[in-house]
Amino acid sequence: MAEENKHPKVLAKQAKEVRLPTAAYGLALSDDDNLCHVTGMDGGVHAVEIQSGKTKRIGGHDSYAASLERLPGSQTLISAGYDGRILWHDLAKREVVRDVKAHDFWSWQMKVSADGTRLASVTGRYACGGYKYEPAPEVEPSVRVYDTATGEHLAKFPHIPPVQSLAFSPDNRFLAAGNLMGEIRVWDLAKREQVAKWITGSFTGWGIIKGHYYTGGIFDMRFSDDSNELLVCGMGSTRDPAAGNGKQLWQRFDWRSSPAKKLDETHSGEHGAGLMETLDQHPSGEYFVMAGRLFKGNWNVAFFDTATGKLLHSLDCGMRCSKARFNAAGDKLFIAGTVSQGNDKKKIKQFGRLKVFNLS
Amino acid sequence: MENKSGQAHDQCGSPEHGLHRRRFLEGLGGGVGAISAASWAGLFSNPVFAEQTKRKQKRCILLWLCGGPSQFESWDPKPGRITGGPFKSIPTSLPGYHVSELMPNCAKIMHKLAVVRSMKTDLENHNTAIDLLNRGDKPRPPFVRPTLGSVLGQQLGQLDSPIPNFILLDPCPEGNEFKGFKAGNWAGWLGAEYGPVRLGGQYKLPDVKRLPDITTTDHEEREALRRFIGRKYENDRLSAAASSQNAAFARVKGLMSCADLFDLERLPQKDRDRYGPGTFGLHTLLSRHLVENGAPFVMVANGMPWDSHVFHNEIYQMVIPDLDNIIYQLVTDLEERGMLDDTLVVAMGEFGRTPGINQARGRDHYPKAWSMMMTGCGIKQGVVVGETEKDGYEVASKSYDERNLFATIFTALGLDPHREYDLPGLPTFHYVEEKAEPIRELLA
Repeated sequence: MAEENKHPKVLAKQAKEVRLPTAAYGLALSDDDNLCHVTGMDGGVHAVEIQSGKTKRIGGHDSYAASLERLPGSQTLISAGYDGRILWHDLAKREVVRDVKAHDFWSWQMKVSADGTRLASVTGRYACGGYKYEPAPEVEPSVRVYDTATGEHLAKFPHIPPVQSLAFSPDNRFLAAGNLMGEIRVWDLAKREQVAKWITGSFTGWGIIKGHYYTGGIFDMRFSDDSNELLVCGMGSTRDPAAGNGKQLWQRFDWRSSPAKKLDETHSGEHGAGLMETLDQHPSGEYFVMAGRLFKGNWNVAFFDTATGKLLHSLDCGMRCSKARFNAAGDKLFIAGTVSQGNDKKKIKQFGRLKVFNLS
Repeated sequence: MENKSGQAHDQCGSPEHGLHRRRFLEGLGGGVGAISAASWAGLFSNPVFAEQTKRKQKRCILLWLCGGPSQFESWDPKPGRITGGPFKSIPTSLPGYHVSELMPNCAKIMHKLAVVRSMKTDLENHNTAIDLLNRGDKPRPPFVRPTLGSVLGQQLGQLDSPIPNFILLDPCPEGNEFKGFKAGNWAGWLGAEYGPVRLGGQYKLPDVKRLPDITTTDHEEREALRRFIGRKYENDRLSAAASSQNAAFARVKGLMSCADLFDLERLPQKDRDRYGPGTFGLHTLLSRHLVENGAPFVMVANGMPWDSHVFHNEIYQMVIPDLDNIIYQLVTDLEERGMLDDTLVVAMGEFGRTPGINQARGRDHYPKAWSMMMTGCGIKQGVVVGETEKDGYEVASKSYDERNLFATIFTALGLDPHREYDLPGLPTFHYVEEKAEPIRELLA
């Protein structure tokens, strides 16, 4: 009992659900818990008034808009999409003030550094590169870094495409990126050199049931507060990558060790099955949330003790979760996602979702 | 069973078959017993035979896109629509017609292809739909309709040809719904000898080389004795099992004589480079090589990679460009070799995929409105038949089903689609039932 009391306590209860006209992929919160912005499958950036449920499109991309970030302390949103573009949105002017073509292929994920001065975006198409459909080498830089104030291109880093996720370290010094094959690379941004590289095969499936190809990979990542560890998530490997039945998986690495050392992962008996797409750290630092899709089990949103990795609390929120964000006060969790789009043209439904959970 | 003109029983009777058969027998020179791995190469070095084989024999390559390929990311894109997905469309060499941006190579040769965007069938699970699109009709137990490959193998092939008349290249043989179908009865009422010879996961035929300590003469004598005893048993007992066993032995003997044809490593590296490096492309190259050397029907499968209930866009960003290159290389290769006019190429699966994206990033099964591609023998080039409404939920023109499709394939290959099968003691069955019409716009 004494051991259990050492763990932080968390309980999440859904307080609000807003239905959106399109699947929501990116999510940016504001100082006002009643206002946030989402990006989605329609390419749009949508302002969402939580209490009224009203939404307003304020601009967007020519394809899926995957990521959305708010520059700290500003009225600027930055979005990135499958059109390979990065857009700066001035909320006061209600217009796009900068448009940078970053990639020939998708921006899989874009994030802004903790100090707000840098953004990075990752790309790469999975192309057949071998007999077993190993990914072909990159045809454009997989990782690009920009100055958020000017849009100036600052750096590019090589990787094996597709590169699906990235993270800045809290000290703004390092950038990490992970790909389909579970290869993670870390660069020192000041020196512009690679400082770590390792592969975790736990997130990648090669099909022998449906077809010979790779699926999965690392879908989100974040550094620990001291920048020494890297937490990544996705879906455990599966023989049938088209089934989506791998285990709900996170892994944590001491990336400064050489080779990088796995410190922990989703504990046995504390997971179901399904792709996990998003991670966020609670402002207290005591626990983190991982969310995604529920294929089998009883949760698709779960809270884990930062120190021990123990599952603290979980729930089934009834949708695929694309992005989870704690508010600054740490008393709410916002999750953007989607339900199935449906196939009845007479019943086109609002299939995007934004859900708000009160934390206690 | 042959008639006076040398035609095999139950063939369509076209002069091309007669000519081909005579050339074939001429090419054999010393008779069937003389065929060996060594003499097979000599057979096709006979310039008269080789030329006639290339020019006159009608053949078919089926790129079997098992699992159900998405029409949205291939032949019927809906960019900017709620169902369209993240990929754009691009113009093609056919004015006014766009394909997915994932198909830039096919876009360049669209004037040589024919696409049907208005396929509509009504079975939406793999097991039944795979059966439907391979046999051209729904089951009527206890009778088993032969698959397209079995029928075409019988109709276009040679009864005693050493090269199999129906070859299934299947590099992903593991467990899935297609595996269940593969374990079933392909040839139906035609008999086991019209089933496919299947190669999976390797290029060379294993265990069909004559052992080095057995001379050719010894081998032939043993085979003659086995054939005599087997036939006698089959005739005395009216045994279907013995008949199948005899057919199997005949097939193995044929394979022994042409095993080298299945060896991809014997093909020029530049050919492997243009089709590859993936398994589907390399096996498609092998299909071209096999039809060039006399195989009338080759089906190229690759598991069920098109069944994208999960990670749809993530998978299709790879498999569609792979297919795009494969179709482009196959069509241009056949054309360069003077074979396209006599080789029907079909690329299709058992249905399409849903307009809506599901909760797992996927598209599900959708037989209500889907697309397929044909080109080559008997097919008008640069034709796009039918259309779907703006979001792809429904066919917005005249729709076509499995019977129309099979009638088109048979007609394109010079076969009467409404002909009756010769099945003493069985109910009347036709190659295509209910006099279903071919898709006339497709026929040259």
